Amino acid sequence: MKFSFSDDQRMFAEGLRDLLSNECPPSHVREIWESGSGHSPDLWSHLSGMGVLSMLAPETSGGMGGTFVDAILLFQELGRAAVPGPVLEHMAVGVPALASSSWGPSLIDGTTIATVAVEDSPYVAHASTARIIVGVDSVIEGYTTTDAHGIDGGRRLCRVEGGSSTPCSSNVGGVDAFDAMALASAAYLIGLSEKMIEIAAEYARVREQFGKPIGSFQAVKHLMSDALLKVEFAKAPTYRAAFSASIGADTMVRDISMAKALASEAAYRTSRSTMQVHGGIGYTWEADLQLFMKKAWALMRAYGDPTFHRRRVSGFVLA
Amino acid sequence: MPSFDTAEGFARHREWEKKLYAGRWSAVSWPEQYGGRGADYIKWLIFEEEYYRAGAPGRVNQNGIFLLGPTIMEVGTEAQKTRFLPTMASSEIVWGQAWSEPNAGSDLAGIKSKATRDGDDWILNGQKIWASRAVWADWCFGIFRTDPEAERHRGLTFILCPLDLPGITVRPIAQLDGDTGFAEIFFDDVRVPVENTLGEVNKGWNVAMATAGFERGVSLRSPARFSEAVNRLVALWRRLGDPSDTALSDAVTDVWMQAEGYRLHTYQTVTGMLEGRPIGAEASLNKIFWSEMDVRIHEIALQIIGPEAERMEGPLERWVDGFLFSLSGPIYAGTNEIQRNIIADRVLQLPKGM
Repeated sequence: MKFSFSDDQRMFAEGLRDLLSNECPPSHVREIWESGSGHSPDLWSHLSGMGVLSMLAPETSGGMGGTFVDAILLFQELGRAAVPGPVLEHMAVGVPALASSSWGPSLIDGTTIATVAVEDSPYVAHASTARIIVGVDSVIEGYTTTDAHGIDGGRRLCRVEGGSSTPCSSNVGGVDAFDAMALASAAYLIGLSEKMIEIAAEYARVREQFGKPIGSFQAVKHLMSDALLKVEFAKAPTYRAAFSASIGADTMVRDISMAKALASEAAYRTSRSTMQVHGGIGYTWEADLQLFMKKAWALMRAYGDPTFHRRRVSGFVLA
Repeated sequence: MPSFDTAEGFARHREWEKKLYAGRWSAVSWPEQYGGRGADYIKWLIFEEEYYRAGAPGRVNQNGIFLLGPTIMEVGTEAQKTRFLPTMASSEIVWGQAWSEPNAGSDLAGIKSKATRDGDDWILNGQKIWASRAVWADWCFGIFRTDPEAERHRGLTFILCPLDLPGITVRPIAQLDGDTGFAEIFFDDVRVPVENTLGEVNKGWNVAMATAGFERGVSLRSPARFSEAVNRLVALWRRLGDPSDTALSDAVTDVWMQAEGYRLHTYQTVTGMLEGRPIGAEASLNKIFWSEMDVRIHEIALQIIGPEAERMEGPLERWVDGFLFSLSGPIYAGTNEIQRNIIADRVLQLPKGM
């Protein structure tokens, strides 16, 4: 038995982290939010160039031929940088579902952008950014959108009307679009949480009250440690879910739900604790923390909220 | 089998350990020369899964086999390994702990019990408390102040001591469940040879922290114990739980996920250890996680059980016993509040406080 990533997988993730620290610092995320576009074309071409967008497309279609195990650390790194735009939807569903269709080449190089519609929501995230929407059994194009004003400025939430649809299956290798998104979101939520903890720890080292850095106070230490605890114990279940998805394990649905429930709750707890550690500045538009918190609040509810996923696990465990 | 914190239970658990040893099952992760099987961590976890799945007895010599044993292998001399490890594996000698003192609990570095050098002997004086298994154990291990002038964490030495020496008084302490699982140990001019020193003189804190790392980390609390408890909880819920009570079924699923998460996390940790990424202060995360999970598992069980949960003897007494036992977890091996400080200081790099 071996429960770890290969050197190649680790190095690719580190490469992505380096790219994002240069190309997607919080100032860039903020710029995208404030522009109202919810998407960064420059960053998109960097992600395409590195092969991130096509990780889950077969090599025969010109993709990287990776599995969910190869992709999971990438989703996490994208979360660490709160990358705006439909990157998860495009990577985890759009590309693998349509890789061998006529859309394949332009999805793989990123010139066509796909997003995902799921049945449990009346809205489609990123629909105004994407050219095509992958639904459960069809692809929609030529639609019109109205802004539904989502809380996360990097995730344009839209109402969608019209358009023409072509049949397609969004189920790739036994993983349907909803589960693929739940899994990718779980890893992204872990990345967001790691970054929120990093930001708050840095703040707690420098912000002084009563003549001391606030990080020296036990009340602050314990808030931070408890957040880290939840995040660290959501990781292994998320990596296991990626493995289960990559081999189409019998337990895949249960494992993905467990990952999404744990990662969502960890991210929510982390958002509350890190905001609390910041005090007043944590409640401002100016603090970068909001870029990560709001993304977490959006993604913890998208693609099944923690209650939905916990009860899906119950169905397997208690039945 | 009665609890190993009773006279009869202790004797029977020692016999069981001897039986395990005869089949080379008592310390599977130890090298063969000391009575083990040289199993790597993964194989050890598999052993634990089977052991707890079979409902086999608790390990009366866990202080020795899982805490002191690995410490001796790390810092002991060859002579100490040969002398102490085989009798530990066979439980011919069962070990107790002698760390805390009345005024050195969470603040363990505040230890005042002294070891004074006299020729080739140490002379031990002072008082230890919460000494696990010390009531019936044969030997104990502890830290003693050997340099009163040194700064608190320095000047401590890790010493191994038989519990039947002149000058030692062991006073049992009844635990919450009434059994005497721990004790006070009084040392009054107790003479032990200096070769019973583990690690360097005045470096006992570092040795103790290695032992504590084993205690908080993977070795004492293998995931199998919790997987087994959670499986019993699910069975209990199926038998007695009200399926329309979604708060209850959510709670059962929650702890099932925790136990499964702990198992996966442990496999991830030991794979990292096998690949050369040792566990450090992260061991404190494990300790908080398993101890709080264990309490939660039992709280939910008592909720399912209802009025029977008030009875110390009855068909469901195991859950009530288990609940009481689980409450020690957040306290011993360093309280969870101390673990949170350790995580904040060493993993999150927050400034030292207090």
